[in-house]
Amino acid sequence: MKELSVKELFEKKKKDFALSVITQPRTLNNTISEAQLNRPGMALAGYLDRFSYKRVQMLGETEISYLQTFSDDALYERLKEMFEYGIPCIFITKGLSVPHQMEYLANEMNIALISSRLTTEKLALNLSQYLRNYFAPKRSLHGTLVDVFGVGILITGSSGIGKSECALDLVERGHRLIADDLVKITLQNNTLMGTPARDAGWFMEIRGVGIVDIERMFGIQAVRLRKQIEVQVELMPWRDNMDYERIGLKNNWSSIHGVNIPVIYLPVSPGKNVSVIIEVISMNHILKTFGYDAAEAYTRRLKEEIKRQSRRNR
Amino acid sequence: MQQKEITVTNKLGLHARPSALLVKTANNFRSELHIIMDDVEVNGKSIMGVMTLAAARGSRLVLQADGVDEDYLLEEIAKLFESNFSED
Repeated sequence: MKELSVKELFEKKKKDFALSVITQPRTLNNTISEAQLNRPGMALAGYLDRFSYKRVQMLGETEISYLQTFSDDALYERLKEMFEYGIPCIFITKGLSVPHQMEYLANEMNIALISSRLTTEKLALNLSQYLRNYFAPKRSLHGTLVDVFGVGILITGSSGIGKSECALDLVERGHRLIADDLVKITLQNNTLMGTPARDAGWFMEIRGVGIVDIERMFGIQAVRLRKQIEVQVELMPWRDNMDYERIGLKNNWSSIHGVNIPVIYLPVSPGKNVSVIIEVISMNHILKTFGYDAAEAYTRRLKEEIKRQSRRNR
Repeated sequence: MQQKEITVTNKLGLHARPSALLVKTANNFRSELHIIMDDVEVNGKSIMGVMTLAAARGSRLVLQADGVDEDYLLEEIAKLFESNFSED
C-alpha cells in the first residue's frame, strides 16, 4: 500500500497551497494512505460511527465557527474523542485561527494542524487532485511513447524490433518524444497518462551506435514531459499465417489499467517505412475521433455500387 | 493454368467481409489468382483489387489460378462462393 508522509506533502505543496504548520514540526511525521478528503462535520457533532479518520481532514469556516458554539470542556472532550482515532493531519483553510484546546490536543496527540490561506473550495480541489494523482495506479511498460500530430502513440514490440529507431525517425520528422524504452503509465480520470519512467532526460539507445541525447540533438521542440496515450502500435515480425487487418472495420483493443485503447498490430519487414505508417495511423485516428471512418465510408460506397450492379444483373 | 467460372450467389455480393475472406484464403496458397469480371481483371490476393469489382449477386466471374497448387486454390475459392461466404 502506497503511503505519503504529511511532511512530504507539506514540503512539496507549501508554496502552491500557501501552507504553514500551527503545531510543532514533529507532528508532521504521520503518513497518509488514502486519496480522499474528509470534512468532519458529523464527527464534530458527535456522530463518530462512520468517521473516516484515515483520511486527511479539512476544516473550513463552517466547522471552525461551529466549534465556537461549544463550551471549553465540551470542546476538549469532543476533539479528544475524535483525535483518538488516529487522524493523519488536519488542514484549516482561509488562514483561520483554531481554538487553543485544539492546538494543545493536536500537539499532545501528534496530529499536524496545517493552515492554508486558500479558500476551502480551492484547497479541497487542489489537495484532492494532488492526492488522487499521488495514489493513482501506476505501472511501467516496455515501449516508446511519441506524440505524433498531437496523438500519443505507444509503440510496443519485442526487444530489437526497432521501436527506438522508429521513434528517432518520427522525431526527425518533427514529432515529439516522451519516453523511450520504459514508459510510466498513470491512470488519470479514466485516461492513460504517459511519462518517462526515469526523470533523466531524453536519452535513447540506438543499436550499433550506443546512447544518444535526443534533446541535445533535436532541441526542446523534439521532446515532451507527458502525453495522454491514445493508440498502441505493436510492431511485430512479419508472419505468413498472421491475420493482419486488411480493411480496418474491426478494432482491436488493448487494456491498460482497465482503460481500452485501440491497438494496431503492425508487421515490420526490411525496407518498410514504419514511421510514415505511424503518421497515417495518427491521422486516421484523428479522423475517426472527428467522426470520419475511411473503412466505413469505403465499404458504404462499395455496397451502393454492388446494389447498382445487382440491378443490372436482374 | 487452371480456370473456373462461377456465379456470385450470396445476397450482398462481394462486399468488404467476403472480399477479405477471399483474399485471405488466396494468400494461403503459392499460386497466383486472377479474377476476371466482364473486361476487368484483378489480382485475387489484393483486397482493393477484389473490392474494385463490386461483384453483385448474379455476377459471373472467371477465376484463373496459376502455380504449383492451382487446383487446391480454385477448389477452396469455389467452396467459399458455394457456401455464400457463410453469410445467408
